[in-house]
Amino acid sequence: MIQILIQGLLLSGLYALIAIGFTLIFSVGRVLNLAYGVNLMLGGYAYFWVSQTLGMPKLVGVAAGAGIGILFGIAIHRLIVKPLKSDPVPVEIATLILAVVMQAGVVLIFGDASKILLPIVEGNWRVAGVSVTANRLAAALISWVILIGLYFFIRKTHVGRAISAVSMDVKGAALSGINPDRINTITWGLSGALGGLAGVFFASVTQLYAGMWVAPLIIAVAVVIVGGIGSIWGTLIVAHIIGFMEVITASFMPEIRGVVTMLLIIGVLVMMPKGLFGRGEL
Amino acid sequence: MANTTNGSVIKWQHLLLWAIFLGGLALLPELADIKWIKRGTLRTFIFANYLAIFAMSWDVLSGRTGYISFGHPFLIGIGAYTTGILNVRFGVDPMFSIPIAVLVTMAAGTLFFLPALRISGSYFALITLAFMELIYQLVQVIRPDLTGGTRGISGVDTLMRGAANNYYLSLGLMGTIAILLWAMMRTRLGTALSAIGMNEEAVEGSGLNTTKLKLFAFMVGAAVAGVGGAFFAHYLGYVSPRGLFEITLAFTIIVSALLGGAGTIIGPIIGAIFLTFLLEILRVKFSTELTDAWPVLDWLETALKGQGRFFIYGLVALVIYMYQPKGIIEIVNRLLARIRGAKA
Repeated sequence: MIQILIQGLLLSGLYALIAIGFTLIFSVGRVLNLAYGVNLMLGGYAYFWVSQTLGMPKLVGVAAGAGIGILFGIAIHRLIVKPLKSDPVPVEIATLILAVVMQAGVVLIFGDASKILLPIVEGNWRVAGVSVTANRLAAALISWVILIGLYFFIRKTHVGRAISAVSMDVKGAALSGINPDRINTITWGLSGALGGLAGVFFASVTQLYAGMWVAPLIIAVAVVIVGGIGSIWGTLIVAHIIGFMEVITASFMPEIRGVVTMLLIIGVLVMMPKGLFGRGEL
Repeated sequence: MANTTNGSVIKWQHLLLWAIFLGGLALLPELADIKWIKRGTLRTFIFANYLAIFAMSWDVLSGRTGYISFGHPFLIGIGAYTTGILNVRFGVDPMFSIPIAVLVTMAAGTLFFLPALRISGSYFALITLAFMELIYQLVQVIRPDLTGGTRGISGVDTLMRGAANNYYLSLGLMGTIAILLWAMMRTRLGTALSAIGMNEEAVEGSGLNTTKLKLFAFMVGAAVAGVGGAFFAHYLGYVSPRGLFEITLAFTIIVSALLGGAGTIIGPIIGAIFLTFLLEILRVKFSTELTDAWPVLDWLETALKGQGRFFIYGLVALVIYMYQPKGIIEIVNRLLARIRGAKA
């Protein structure tokens, strides 16, 4: 029981971090970025290259993961979303094509074989009688720190409130002297950084390979759909629902852990198309 | 030409164009002995024909009505698995297993249709993606004795022997489906379906039952996907979850339809042939003199053998899509219009 609780909490924390960057774009940019999984993949590979191939400190590697995420996020906004005028369906298709291109590009540079990332934090900790790797625990704790930081950033800073305003009403925000284009660029960069960071941790607890963008994308999609567009709390709660559901089903029937998540997506979308906490604003 | 074909009357010129196009393709195996067409080319064309069937099916369901499906392999896979299970596990003759597979796929199409009653746009695309992931996982764990689990089913009866016969079969199938769909789209029904893609509320406002129209489009799309999937399984001789319920297959189908030109019949066919051959052409071989002079060409050759091809292939698809979302057919039409304009 306590095992399930702890495993569930750790997994959910990571899922929340994965989903939050995706939600940001969905609520501010009003588009689904299907290349979001690529942000995670690039973050993981950047960390691998900097800290394991070049042998630089781990912190530099984490920063590189976030950095490449920012660059990639802004590049998608400039080169794909803006030319397509944020039209949702074409953006979805173009970002899906981009994701496949990037996967092939990564294989071209790093090869087909999957890489093993050394744990970012080493050792084992015992929490309430359950042994967990320090790496998993650190991943969950850091994602909580980032999520809380993001919450205060959105609520308390000027830029954060501007992001929130644009997500509510673009025209109204523009009338109040906010430049929606600048806010969009910032949001894409922020989402990219979150994706890159999530990628470093996701790759360190799973595996680093070129096809790894699909799984986190599906998690992010599931969380956002079930939680409803861009509410931070909704994202957090649903990340826990999905994380716990996976851990619980995995402990009874390991084969069907993915099935339950998919059934939840389909069920919620058909019953309540706006999601459980859907609001359409941040 | 671009403007005159929009009328709904079927003229003999249209049939002549179809005959020239399909007849030209039918001559290919005869050319197989000529040096520049290698044996492998015919297999590439067979795949292109099946891809064209899948792309046309996607186009009826998504390209016309605007309900974009990211999970099209769901329908294709159901068709392939149904005929595979019936044929291998129960020894049913393909004569019966294929029609049954088509009916089952149409029933699955209704399942696909339920979410379309309430949601559209991005959400619908995502739910179809979820459907595909769901069946991918289910097929591996539910009744592995029937579905063969992760390994799939091998030993499905093949209908034809030899590349040339299989090529004629796939071409005949593709041509029949293309002409039937083309004729259907020229009726008032086809016009109404395209109108849903433009403005669903307006269609409803004109007193048409959009639910029935959408259901019809989904049924036709599913039937074509079922035919394609079932025959494809009998061509390959096996079905496996990895090969079918893959996001890359969904990607290839969508990109063929869009690159060629969604909302037309010839567009998805051209897109499928273009994409399949783009991938083949990229398999280059430079002469040794060239690679000695330019070592970078050697690197390029090895890179293109692997994932490099997919990199360039995707990049070309992305650039064409960004340049003209209506596809190659629109680019050609505009070019023709410009040439004609210059003459006039």
